[in-house]
Amino acid sequence: MKSVTTLVLAGGKGERLYPLTRDRAKPAVPFGGIYRIIDFTLSNCINSGLRHIYVLSQYKSLSLSRHIQQGWNIVSGALGEYVTVVPAQQRINEDWYKGTADAIFQNIYLLQKATPDLVLILSGDHIYKMDYRDMIHFHLQKGADVTVASVEMDKELSRELGVIAVDADFRIQGFEEKPETPRTVRSKPDKILASMGVYVFNTEIMVKRLIEDAKRATEHDFGKNVIPAMVASGDRVFAFNFVDGEGQAEYWRDVGTVEAYFDASMDLVSICPLLNLYDTKWPIHTYHAPNPPAKTILCEDTATGGRRGTAYDSIIAGGAIISGGEVRKSIISANVRVDSYARVEDSILLDDVRVREGAKIKNAIVDKYSEIPEGMTIGYDLSDDVKNFTVTESGIVVVSKGFRLP
Amino acid sequence: MATLLIVDDEINQRKLYQEELRDEGYRIQLARNGKEALDSIAEAPPDLVVLDIRMPVMDGLEALGKIIGKERNIPVIIHSAYSSYKDDFISWAADDFVVKSSDLTELKRKIRALLERKQV
Repeated sequence: MKSVTTLVLAGGKGERLYPLTRDRAKPAVPFGGIYRIIDFTLSNCINSGLRHIYVLSQYKSLSLSRHIQQGWNIVSGALGEYVTVVPAQQRINEDWYKGTADAIFQNIYLLQKATPDLVLILSGDHIYKMDYRDMIHFHLQKGADVTVASVEMDKELSRELGVIAVDADFRIQGFEEKPETPRTVRSKPDKILASMGVYVFNTEIMVKRLIEDAKRATEHDFGKNVIPAMVASGDRVFAFNFVDGEGQAEYWRDVGTVEAYFDASMDLVSICPLLNLYDTKWPIHTYHAPNPPAKTILCEDTATGGRRGTAYDSIIAGGAIISGGEVRKSIISANVRVDSYARVEDSILLDDVRVREGAKIKNAIVDKYSEIPEGMTIGYDLSDDVKNFTVTESGIVVVSKGFRLP
Repeated sequence: MATLLIVDDEINQRKLYQEELRDEGYRIQLARNGKEALDSIAEAPPDLVVLDIRMPVMDGLEALGKIIGKERNIPVIIHSAYSSYKDDFISWAADDFVVKSSDLTELKRKIRALLERKQV
């Protein structure tokens, strides 16, 4: 068994998720009612038996550090396991990390003591369920210097992704970051092979290539610089294709924009979501506050103007109370209150949001601790919503954390 | 005439290297620790750095990381009494590693080789 140290890049600013990333790094953005985005990557590690994990943080790392401290103390220190947040320490450079490769290079000393055989590099920004052991097995079988996880995605998304070209043996021939006209998958002209930002490296070759990259004036990015340079220099660079037993592409989402975040969230309230949270063989761990169970109250006769607390096609987290209001196709996070005659539809309410009597919300994301006043409507008149909130091109309204009327 | 920056905390060693390498036809700058070395590089970048590791204030490995981090293409030779530093990942960032010896032939040969490679 090869020794593996896992490094999770969790410094992403997530600018296109603004204002959800106003006060937190992208990996710390809440998702699915009780999780944060990074929980999916960390759960993959734990479920893959990888328990030597450093989380490299950078911008706005407070809520991320707190979450990991509270929720990820599940590994055993006595057995030498750890999930440790490493803030940018400026040991080598006095700048922020210049790119993903620089983030690893600046923390190279973390690998010194253990000197693992392999280093697994992950992004804390993505939502998927993957057994990294399969990829490590593939890496060793191919005798690769580095293996990059790849997944089939729609060709239209190429400008958001790193696109990989492979030969029949899945050795990487080309690696282009965000191309306009991408190389498509053989026999599937509408699909591309996208990099998942997941890399298995032989430790020694990684250190050497990172040093070479550090000396060059590049963007110090794995996708833009290190991997293409390795392909060009003849290193053994392979792609591990993330598919199920039938060869179908597995679920993987970079919820990098408000729209993508909204769509991935709404998938969860469908009858058979693409992302299954109910698989007991692959539990998604997170921090669970000691909240009481969710509750719906009031069951009066609505025909005579009575109040009725109801929820349809929704996820409802602990501590939430739907008190005489109506919730449809929504994600209701911990300790949310939906008061009488209020209506919440096709929306995501994060922790501790209060929707006051008669307020109506649709196609919206309401960030934590916000209070929607009595009778207010959100998502019905976008020209009005723009005055108080962020409205995306596709018409999703985002209410910033802690909103309330003065 | 190429300029070498010699970084060593031991005064007699600095003097020895200065004399021997000046005789080889190099211009010599001196620094007593990593921090002085970085200041010297910032002020007047040399053509090559000969870097001791165990020094007070800032050791050679930390200085090496910072030299690399600035993307400056200055060749660095680690010149240490301890070959065990070869296991340190950051030491791999040096262009060469010479274990200290009273005979400076190897150091001189490697300086020449790196400067020639730089000119090509």
